[in-house]
Amino acid sequence: MTRDEVIARLRAHLGDLVGDAADDLGIDQDIRDELDIDSMDFLQVVRAVHADLGVEIPEVDYRLLPTLDAFATYVLERL
Amino acid sequence: MCGALGRYDEVEAAAPPPVDPSLRMRAAIGAAMSRSKREIPHYYLAHEVDLGPAMSWLAAHNASRPPSERVLPAALLVRSVALGLQRAPELNAHFVDGRVAPQESIHVGLAIALRGGGLVAPRIERTDTLSLDELMVAMTDLVTRARRGGLRASEMTGATITITSLGDRGVDLVVPAITPPQVAVLGIGTITERPRVVEGQVVPRPVVTISLAADHRVSDGHAGARFLHHVATLLMTPEKL
Repeated sequence: MTRDEVIARLRAHLGDLVGDAADDLGIDQDIRDELDIDSMDFLQVVRAVHADLGVEIPEVDYRLLPTLDAFATYVLERL
Repeated sequence: MCGALGRYDEVEAAAPPPVDPSLRMRAAIGAAMSRSKREIPHYYLAHEVDLGPAMSWLAAHNASRPPSERVLPAALLVRSVALGLQRAPELNAHFVDGRVAPQESIHVGLAIALRGGGLVAPRIERTDTLSLDELMVAMTDLVTRARRGGLRASEMTGATITITSLGDRGVDLVVPAITPPQVAVLGIGTITERPRVVEGQVVPRPVVTISLAADHRVSDGHAGARFLHHVATLLMTPEKL
C-alpha cells in the first residue's frame, strides 16, 4: 500500500465522522484542531484503522498522530 | 417537541420558532439557559482531583485490549458521578412547580457538542447500573447517534444531573449552568500534569478540576461538597469502579 493510499483511507475514516471537511484537511494540519475531533472521535478513528488496516495503535502512541502525514508514516511502518 | 437541552416548547413565545434547525436549536438552548439563570439560584464548587491512580489503572486496563474495547477516562468520570449520586440522593432530583421531586433511578445526562454548533444532552439510562465497559458502549452509541441526528425524544428527558466535559479543548475550569428541571451539572476540565506535593516531594501528577453547579433550592454547599468528595474519592480508587 502506498503512502497516498494510506492517506486516502485515513481521510475516509475521518470523513465518516466529519463529512466533507476531511477532504479539505491538509496533510500537515492538526487533525483534532482542524476537524474539531474529540477523544471519543479519535478512538473511533483508531478503531476503524484497526479494523480496516490491521494496525493496532496503543494509547501511548496517540500523541504521535497529530497530522495525516504523521499518521500515515506511523501506519506504513506497521503494515 | 424535544430538542437540545430539553423541550423546544420551552422557547419563549416572543417570536415564532426559526425554520432553520440550527437556529431552532440555538433558540432552544438560549431559552433553557435563560430560564436557568433567571430562576435557579446556582451555587458553585470545584475540586482538583489527582488522577494518577485512575490513569495508571486505565493504562493497564487498556494495554491488552483492542481499540474496540478500550475505556476512556470519561467513562470513569461518568461512573464516579453515578455512584456518587447514590450517596448524595438530594442531588438526584428534579425541581418542578416549586417543589423538589426526588428521583429513584439515576440517569446522568451527557452534554454532546454537535458538529457545526449546538449541543444536546441525552441521558444514559440507569447510569449507576452500568459497568465501565457498558458505559463506554452507551456513551459511544449516544455520541454517534447525537451527531447523526438519531436520538429518541425519550432520551432527552429524565436526567437529574448533566456532565459537560470541555477537557478536549484545554479548558481548566468549567462553570456550567443547570438545565431545568435538573438540579445540578458537573463540569470536567482538561487532564493535565501539574506539580503536586506527595509525601513531601514535589512531583508531576495528572490532575483534573471537576466543578459542580447545583440548585440552592434543593441542596446546600455542604451536600454539594460531600458529593464532589465522593466523586473524587472514587476517581482515586479506580479499582472500585
